[in-house]
Amino acid sequence: MVIENLLPPFPQWFLPALGIWIGVLALVALVGFFLGWLVVALERGPREALVRNWQAVVQALDDFVRRLSLKRAHGLAYLAVKESIRRRVIAVFVVFLVLLMFAGWHIDPASREPAVLYLNFVLSSTTYLMLLLALFIGSFSLPTDIRNRTIHTVVTKPVRASEIILGRLSGFAWVTTFILVGMGVVSYFFVIFGLNHRHALPAANLQPVAEAPGETGTLTGLTAPAFGHRHRVYVDADGRGRVEVARGHYHSIRMIGSGPEARYEIGPPEGFLLARVPVYGRLEFRDRDGLDTDKGLNVGDEWTYRGYIQGASPAALIWTFSGLTPQRFPTGLPLELTLGVFRTHKGNIEKPVLGSIAVRNPRTGLYVETEIFESKEFAEVPEIKRLFVPRTIINPPSVQIIQRKKNTVEGIVLSPPNEDVRMELTQKREFDLYEDLCDNGRVEVWIRCIEPGQYFGAAQPDLYIRARDASFIVNMFKACYGIWLVTLIVLAYGITASTFLSAPVAMVATIGVLVGGLFRDFVIKLALGQTYGGGPFESLYRLVTQENVMSELEPGLGTLLLKMADVIARGFLFAVASILPPLGQFGWSDWVAHGFDIPWEHVLIRTLQTLAFVGPVIVAGYFFLRAREIAE
Amino acid sequence: MSSGKSTAPGTPEVIVETRNLTKIYRDFWGRQKVRALKALDLTIYRGEVFGLLGPNGSGKTTTMKLLLGLLFPTEGQALVFGRDATDVSKNERIGYLPEETYLYRFLTGEETLEFFGRLFNMPAAVRRQRTAELLELVGLTAARKRQVREYSKGMARRLGLAQALINDPELILLDEPTTGLDPIGTRAMKDLILRLRDQGKTIIMCSHLLADVQDVCDRIGILYDGELKELGRVDALLKVRDMTEIRFSGGDGALVDEVKQVIERHNGRIHFIGNPTTTLEELFLQIIRESEAHPGRRVRGGISGDGH
Repeated sequence: MVIENLLPPFPQWFLPALGIWIGVLALVALVGFFLGWLVVALERGPREALVRNWQAVVQALDDFVRRLSLKRAHGLAYLAVKESIRRRVIAVFVVFLVLLMFAGWHIDPASREPAVLYLNFVLSSTTYLMLLLALFIGSFSLPTDIRNRTIHTVVTKPVRASEIILGRLSGFAWVTTFILVGMGVVSYFFVIFGLNHRHALPAANLQPVAEAPGETGTLTGLTAPAFGHRHRVYVDADGRGRVEVARGHYHSIRMIGSGPEARYEIGPPEGFLLARVPVYGRLEFRDRDGLDTDKGLNVGDEWTYRGYIQGASPAALIWTFSGLTPQRFPTGLPLELTLGVFRTHKGNIEKPVLGSIAVRNPRTGLYVETEIFESKEFAEVPEIKRLFVPRTIINPPSVQIIQRKKNTVEGIVLSPPNEDVRMELTQKREFDLYEDLCDNGRVEVWIRCIEPGQYFGAAQPDLYIRARDASFIVNMFKACYGIWLVTLIVLAYGITASTFLSAPVAMVATIGVLVGGLFRDFVIKLALGQTYGGGPFESLYRLVTQENVMSELEPGLGTLLLKMADVIARGFLFAVASILPPLGQFGWSDWVAHGFDIPWEHVLIRTLQTLAFVGPVIVAGYFFLRAREIAE
Repeated sequence: MSSGKSTAPGTPEVIVETRNLTKIYRDFWGRQKVRALKALDLTIYRGEVFGLLGPNGSGKTTTMKLLLGLLFPTEGQALVFGRDATDVSKNERIGYLPEETYLYRFLTGEETLEFFGRLFNMPAAVRRQRTAELLELVGLTAARKRQVREYSKGMARRLGLAQALINDPELILLDEPTTGLDPIGTRAMKDLILRLRDQGKTIIMCSHLLADVQDVCDRIGILYDGELKELGRVDALLKVRDMTEIRFSGGDGALVDEVKQVIERHNGRIHFIGNPTTTLEELFLQIIRESEAHPGRRVRGGISGDGH
């Protein structure tokens, strides 16, 4: 599995995001001000309503900026913590422990990717339990205080509504933090112990490798099964061993003793828990005529995630990487590739499809093929293929000058142009990655399918340079932090909803926000008309009449009315989606489970997004609380 | 501390003022349900104990909640220390004991006072000292580590009073302060109210127990059906102007006969002559005091005394 890196770099993200945030906020504030004015105006007239609303805004600024007392907020946070303890929120942690105790019934260690299963299980359980906890304590706390009238004793002290909301939020945030830290630590050890296993390697299992040139005395064999799998092992004449990767991990091997008395000890699993730091390139396609295109071929999949290129043709998948220096990658480029394969003729289904990898200098066009590889899309575990482009390439299989061809309004444009082509570059037999194939740190990596009638497909994240491996523990911490951010958002919405709704209704409203937030991307697509079958009303019509989503509706008054209703509905959906947090994007479980490092840039962006949602929600809660009669 | 409304020299300072204060409760659709308070005009001065009297539903508690900013007036205005009652900063100088003891049951007595002390931004040392003083004052020092859920109603009431005094307030609002208290607690509460008045604090209390109000209040207002029906000093309102009461001790029957004759000679009418009775509260407190001083069985009156 590959991980989509959907976020642009922080500098590119920040200013546009800030602009949108300010715009939406201003709009929501205006609508809120107008509604507030309308309510007061009905009772006290338009002029007084305007004055009162303005005073309320000034008062809010005062309450949040000048008069906000952190000491009081801390006192209220302390109360929230005490209340949570009284409500036995620790039960959530106990439920989590019980879940882990029975996890063995559901998690099959003999599965294809046991680490993914284990990590997904612990992180998903943590997420759901934390969200449930946040829903309950966020929605029920304030209404309970109002119902029991304990709030009367508090609000008759010099406590501002801002402090009540901030105090509660920070108190509950502390509670969830403690529980989350506990869950995170327990999860880590659960995964470590859950994945731990050893294989035995009886000496009788090892047999000499037949006809292995230059490897006289090498033994090979399979380990004893454990965790539902075995590893192939190679031991050379000096007793040095190597255990092949299976189910996403390998083991160390140590020879004890020598000669006929020698036995082998296989260590604990390694490579299960990774945090790969990928460097992504930009993907372009080259079609079978050698022309650059934006998209690959569609081979008929409904899911058009990957674009395909035809085999045994000039077509290629081209990733352009930039910022490469000998300091960053002194020995070469360690690449990891996931390919989709589409076969127009099956033949022997077990037979891999051959492909080639090459590097090209974007300026000179020098193209050096480094390796022919096999793609086994039907392997038991579709593992990520590891390829390596060495710093020094000696006697490569193929060396050419390839000119990129782009179809523009002025005709075909060649890169490099004919006058800049230097064929003498192809005369060399030894190439340095940085001197010959890089142009100011830019290099192109070409993947081609070399078998006729077969196709390779890829999307941008399918190939990356594995720059380094970050700390798994830190990655796990980042994933837990992501869960904490979502919990904070749910808490903020829950508390704000509970300032003007009863506890059960506040909880339902918060669930609405949660679900809406998880499907926010879809709702925005729907609002922007990027989905098939029209807007909500047209879709409903198609559902009822069983009309195909692709065909146009019969023109007429009915269709016109449907379309008009959809325009209004889409506007409403867009407005709602704009104030919903994109909770679906906060889940980093897949990153951790599939061994990818969560970039700190993402952590920063999600933190700012959380603040961007929590801040205005708190302010809204402040106005709701101030506007209500506590003793009513 | 800043004072409330400025007054001319010699006139008492106004602490609470309501002008045409009206509260109408409405249903979800905005239809009028009940007119709980009708155009209340009231002025309460510094250093007085003011009692709000009235039957259930007369608007006492509504008035109290309007003064505290827990409710918003439908019409009119409530000013406390010269500020609108919805202004939170006035609460710096206010103490409030609600009708029921609305305290967090999961906190201990000590934690409760610490918590409310924090809400006044009190420094930790001051908070601790004030907590200890108030627990001592309300007699809960021994129970300070117990959770409020374990408190009896009287203890919780006393703790409620302690939290109302945590900030050494200038204005104290007491809603049914003696509810749930035994006679000793009731007397202690009344003594405390008088002590606080002597310290220059202003107290507003509402109560059903007329005797309590009579004992401690300087002025009272009587509400009925949301309207202020009577307002004035207690002694002036209760004075029976066409009767005279003489109390004396010593003397004998001849003296009593002589007094009778003097009254009749001046065309006066005698309604009652006899020994005055004490109040049940006084009797109870005296028995308790004597029992504490001399432990053991004490029988007063009883079968033989009653002549059964």
